[in-house]
This record gives sequence, C-alpha cells and structure tokens, in this order.
Amino acid sequence: MVIHRFVRCVNNSTARQLIFNQCRKHAINRSIFTTPSFWAERLYTDKHEWVEVDGKTGKVGISQYAQEALGDVVYAQLPDVDTVLKQKDECGALESVKAASEVYSPISGKVVEKNTSVEETPSLINSSCYDKGWLFKIELSDTGELKSLMTETQYNEYLKTQEH
Amino acid sequence: MALVHRKFVMSAILSRFARAYSTPVQEKDIRKSVFISQSKDIFTNLALEDWLYKNLDFTNHHVLMLWQNDPCVVIGRHQNPWLEANVPALGALTDQGVALARRNSGGGTVFHDQGNLNMTFFTSRNHYNRRYNLEVITRAIFREYGLKLEITPRDDLTLRNCKVSGTAAKLGRPSAYHHCTLLVNTNKVHLSEALQKSDVGIETNATKSTKSKILNLCEENPKIKVPALYKVVGWEYLRTHALSVKDGGMELANQQKGFQMVNPTEKWFPGIEEIRDNLQGWQWRFGKTPKFTISRSFTVPEHLISQDVPDDLKVTMVVEGGKISDVNLYVPPGLVANGFSGNVNVITSLIGHKFSEEALDNLEWSLGALGSDKDKFVTDCVKQVMQSV
Repeated sequence: MVIHRFVRCVNNSTARQLIFNQCRKHAINRSIFTTPSFWAERLYTDKHEWVEVDGKTGKVGISQYAQEALGDVVYAQLPDVDTVLKQKDECGALESVKAASEVYSPISGKVVEKNTSVEETPSLINSSCYDKGWLFKIELSDTGELKSLMTETQYNEYLKTQEH
Repeated sequence: MALVHRKFVMSAILSRFARAYSTPVQEKDIRKSVFISQSKDIFTNLALEDWLYKNLDFTNHHVLMLWQNDPCVVIGRHQNPWLEANVPALGALTDQGVALARRNSGGGTVFHDQGNLNMTFFTSRNHYNRRYNLEVITRAIFREYGLKLEITPRDDLTLRNCKVSGTAAKLGRPSAYHHCTLLVNTNKVHLSEALQKSDVGIETNATKSTKSKILNLCEENPKIKVPALYKVVGWEYLRTHALSVKDGGMELANQQKGFQMVNPTEKWFPGIEEIRDNLQGWQWRFGKTPKFTISRSFTVPEHLISQDVPDDLKVTMVVEGGKISDVNLYVPPGLVANGFSGNVNVITSLIGHKFSEEALDNLEWSLGALGSDKDKFVTDCVKQVMQSV
C-alpha cells in the first residue's frame, strides 16, 4: 500500500517505471518462496495476454480488458501445433468489427495444442476469456521468462495506469 | 533520391531505440506526414503499407498514405476468395485483368480501380482511432464540396444511405493502421461483375462480407475527381490536431512534415520486394483461406439409373489450406446397381491438390482415360463443383 502510494507520487514516468519494475521483482520473488500454488496462477503481459502454467505447459489466452476492447470476435487464427515461438512473437490474430488484432506469445516454447472450439466458435473468447476461450497451449522452453510477467494484482494496477 | 532513402533507413533504426521508452506522448509533439504512393499495383501498395507498419515508429509521427490501384479485388485477411469474388471471371474482366489480393487487415471484400482512393492512417496502437480518421475525411469533403457524408455505426461512410467507403484495420504492437476506400468514379459494372457470386454451396466460418448498396461521389457532384482529393484529404489531415478532431488551420498544417511522393521500390524500402512476392504468392492469397467445405447435388440422367425413383448424386469436398483434403460422394443406389464400378481412384487422386485449377487439370487428364459412362458422369460432377467457383 505504502509502495503504491509512493509510486503514484512519482511523476517522472521513467523513474516510475524503474520503481514499478523493482517492486514487481520483489513481489514475484516473494510469491515464489511463499506461495506453493504460484504456478497455477495466471500471469499477464502488458499487451493483455495471460498464461497459466502447469508444470512445463502454459495455457495462453487474452484478458477480460482485451476482450472488451476488441468487441465481438468473429474469427480466431491460432498458431498450429509444433510452431516454435519466442516470447513476444506474433502468433495469431483475432478479428472483430473489421479489425485484425495480432496475438503475441507471452512466453517462448513449442505449441502443443490449439483450442479448436475457439476456432469453431470465436465468441467463446468474449463469453469466457479465462476458461473456455483459451487460445493455445505451449511447452515452455524458458520458465525464467515468467519473471517478466505480471501477477493478477500487478496487472490490475497496470490497467489503472492505462486508463486516462 | 539517395537522401530520402537514407532518411527512411535511419528512421527505421531510430524507431527500434525509441520503442524501448514509453513516455506518454503529448499532442503537440506529434508531427504528421502525407505519403503519396507512386505505384498503382495492389501488391506493391500492400507491401508498402506493411513495410511502413513494420519499420516506422509512429509514436511522434502520424502518417497518412494515399494510394490508388489498377483494377483489383481485395479480400480481408480471413476470407474465402471463392466465396467473395468471381474468381474465374477476373482475368477477362478488363484488358489487363482484375488482380485478386488478400490484405493483412480484417473486414470484407472491396473492389479498387483508378476511380477509387485508398487512405491508410498509421499511428501507434495507443492512438489508433478510426472515428478520428473518418471525421477528417468527412470534414475534407465538406470543406471542399459542401457534401455531407455520414459515418455509420459500422464505420462505413454513406451518402443517401449508400456506401461510399469501406473500412478495415490491423492492430499490432507497437503500431496499428486503419485503411479505407473512397468511391469517386469507380466502374460499377466491373465492380459488380468482379464481386458477383451465386450461392455455390460453400460452408465456412471465414469472415463474410456485408453486401451494401454503393454510390460514387461523382454521382452526387461530378466535379469530384480523385487527383484533387489527394490534396483535399491531405491538407485536412495536416491541419487537424493529432489526437482530437480540432481544426488548427494552415498555421498547424505548415508545422507538419507535409506531403511526400513515395516510390515503393527496393532501393527506397529495403525488403519490400520480398513482402510483395509473398503477398502475390499462391500461399498467401489462396493457401491462407480458412478451412471450408463445398457441396453440390446432381440429378442422375435417366439412362444411367436402373430404377424409376430419381435420386441425386452428392459431392462434398473439404478444402484446408487451399488444398483438397477430402472428397465424399453420395452415390444413389440406382447408379451403383446399374454398373457404376466405384472407381474412385480419380477422386482420391485429387487429394492434396490445389483448389481449384490444379485439381481441375488433374481431373481433365484422367477423364479421358475413363471407359464407363457412369464413371464419366461422376467425375464430371466433381469437375463441375470446382468449375462453379
């Protein structure tokens, strides 16, 4: 709480980013050691994708915020199984109201499954973005990358900075 | 020329550094440019669009690209060309033929020719705003011609309830673009022939176009011509503030980077040829088509069927990645009983072939080798399924 208030006071955004990153690292380190269920948690990117890790496999989707921003999804183009992706690679597209929005992979690895239900019924992304509307599963090649992602609490804080 | 070339490469390099920082951008810090493409080739212009999207940094620099094409049909990124365009007729529609292209943005199919103006608005993803862009266009037309265009909830521009402009967009990180057409004096006969499509029995979840009544601006005001619109829309864009639709007059326009003629060649834009080749290749235009099935029924001629009850032969074809992946035949019992040998080798040999020309050639070749009338009939039906699209 104290930290958040402090962060808000800092107007220089580069400094704010630095402090924010440090806080984030602390928060992640802490949760690794204190929360055994850490891997089942959803982690977020600043581009509004999420990943839920179970062992070596991560399930990827887009956030509620992203789903709302897109509007009705009419077509989902997902990466094929066996595609090797690097973190932040373009790996698909979601089409809504005449706009194709690129999907970026939150982590590096090899695609092991894609959600064919979403290909058939793209509206699942709107109705159930964290559950039935997941996009693809990926076998992680570098679990260290997870440290660069935000926890749900951090992501919610991040969303506040995005609203003007 | 060499100078301009260096400028583009430099800004491409700079953009990579600039992206590392994400300080909020003030409206007053954003400069605008109008690029006018000197190519009339759809694949080159789409490649230019993609090159700019990938290589320029739009954080402090908004760009409007104005371009025109020789006759072509442009389908949306996730569309089915056989469902949207009159594919077999395109080649003979005009002297040089009508090209078929697939773009990177979403949305439906449009027809372009020299009577149509295309506008692409490049911004950072954070500043992507279709309404802003459409308002700039409507204000430009109103200022110059006193003509009021409406912006519909679907982001089309209409006049007298007829569509004069279609919109589509591509959103990525860190950049995005919105592009739209403006019908000025497009050949409506070519347009409707190129997009004419009867129900060919295709089932797919590909994005479908919404059919609309269209109007050329010249039908309302014959003085409106495409070359003049370059200036009209370009100046309006430059004199409008970057983030709010507020007129800054010529004072603001003169602070911008202004107009620039752009020659989309490899020399100016290293790598553009490769992008162009990919856009023109079969893999992107047809291979990218979302999976679909096409089915049709045929009445079996009386002399081929043994029983009195008329029955249909039904052909269903599955096409994945633009290639035939499965063919199913429903052969009526009467035809089987009357000596249809069930020689489906011809049919199975189609699997893996490109839909539809390559597969048709293959069928044509094997048709000659068939002896039985029944086999010929079945093969001919399969052929017709493909010829119909």
